[in-house]
Amino acid sequence: MGILPQLILNSIIAGAIYTLVALSFNLIYSTTKFFNLAHGVMAAIGGYAVFYFSKTLGLDIHIAIVLGVILTGFVGFGVDKFIYLQLRKRKASNMVLLVASLGVMTALQAIIAILFSSRFKTLSGNIDTQKIFTILGGVITQTQLVILLSAVLIMAGFVIFLYKTQFGKTVRAISDDEEVARIIGINTNKIIGYIFFIGSAVTGFTGILIGFDVGIEPTMGLSLLLKGVIASIVGGVGNIYGGVLGAFLLGFVENFGIWKISGEWKDAIAFALLIVFLIFRPRGIMNK
Amino acid sequence: MKIIETKNLVKRFNGVYAIDRLSIGIEKGQITGIVGPNGSGKTTLINLLSGVLKIDSGEIVVDGTEKITRILPHQVFFYGITRTFQNVRLFEQMTVLDNILVVITERNIFSSLFEKHIEYHHKIAEEVLQKVGLWKKKNQLAANLSYGQRKLLEIARALAMKAEVYLFDEPFAGLFPEMRKIVSVIVQELKQKNKTVILIEHDIGLIRELCDYIFVMNEGRLLAEGKPESVLERKEIIEAYFGN
Repeated sequence: MGILPQLILNSIIAGAIYTLVALSFNLIYSTTKFFNLAHGVMAAIGGYAVFYFSKTLGLDIHIAIVLGVILTGFVGFGVDKFIYLQLRKRKASNMVLLVASLGVMTALQAIIAILFSSRFKTLSGNIDTQKIFTILGGVITQTQLVILLSAVLIMAGFVIFLYKTQFGKTVRAISDDEEVARIIGINTNKIIGYIFFIGSAVTGFTGILIGFDVGIEPTMGLSLLLKGVIASIVGGVGNIYGGVLGAFLLGFVENFGIWKISGEWKDAIAFALLIVFLIFRPRGIMNK
Repeated sequence: MKIIETKNLVKRFNGVYAIDRLSIGIEKGQITGIVGPNGSGKTTLINLLSGVLKIDSGEIVVDGTEKITRILPHQVFFYGITRTFQNVRLFEQMTVLDNILVVITERNIFSSLFEKHIEYHHKIAEEVLQKVGLWKKKNQLAANLSYGQRKLLEIARALAMKAEVYLFDEPFAGLFPEMRKIVSVIVQELKQKNKTVILIEHDIGLIRELCDYIFVMNEGRLLAEGKPESVLERKEIIEAYFGN
């Protein structure tokens, strides 16, 4: 088996995961305009929630996944309602919100570690032995196929949600000019609350998928978030298609970057890509 | 009947009075002009009436009954008030059509999540966009319009809200004569429909032509009020504020 097909498949799978994080990060960032560091930790919450529901409580894995996604959505919603919204009402700057989100991230990570220990866990033990498929000489697992399919479906969902529904127009109006959105009668704080629910639920679902594919640990969120953010910046912050493009570009650059060198260089390569874009095309591929 | 009254309205910025115990009453169904030199508090007044700024003290009475001391921007819409801005503010990354449709969007989360805009919405959008001559540009991004077109789109957005009170902050500034004509017709049509228009304007000719009543402000206070033909004749007002 040649290494090239496998590299391509790995790149696509990585791109799909980054797509999910970039889309949900972009959604929240475009409406709130602050860098929510706690966004990544939602992936860990989703993963650990499924771990708890399926392994500790013994619920059916599908029910556990649904509950995990909903729970993560509510955690995101709660964090906004009780922390970020209160700060926004007090006219806190984006820097204050960033620091607050750092606090939220640290606290949530610590709570997960206290409840479940910091040890690496995997979710896949609970489902049947994974099927493995061979595509064009590369190997892909059943979970990875689900990741790919989910990324496509969620991306399509985002496009329909933002561009085809009335709610989507409201969200785009808020990301354009929140004050004017209020003047035309939109309760922006309420909508931002829903956005946190949706964004966090998507990231929670991503965490669950990663839990089945690789495994979970309390600190998994930050590096995942940073990859999502790199994808967003490379593609163009606030642009759905840009986020997807950035995510796959990052996936390919990362995986092809380690073709001839050690895999430990992956993160260094990802951040090198970020720096190149920040210097030469700071607004990303899609934004002029 | 007074549709909006302000009672001892106060707004300070860093201790300086932008609005100083202002008490005025706006008559329903009329075009009311707010005039005065730059920095006299005209835009601050509009910002208070539209909830963009918080009232320091005093109150706003809407429709003779509803007393408001804290007005939230998204509630202004429910009081039947809408506005435009001195520096045009649009949803830049949305199309001309979407800039209008978003105004008439369902505010209930679940219905807005699952419903598309239907013919009824498109009809309203077509009506207001035809009125300002932007229907043919409906699929263009708002960011790509000319200054005058942007200003007209903002007015169309206000019209789509079907409000009772329209706060127009210098709607004629920077417009070509034909565009000024469009805005002038819109303002007069609103009056014919018994809607209330509050107009901030520097062009005294337009004030004379359009307004039924005017308030002259200076340093956050009310200097004079009355019918434009009588107030604008007063020598001290002409000399002090209009320089001719």
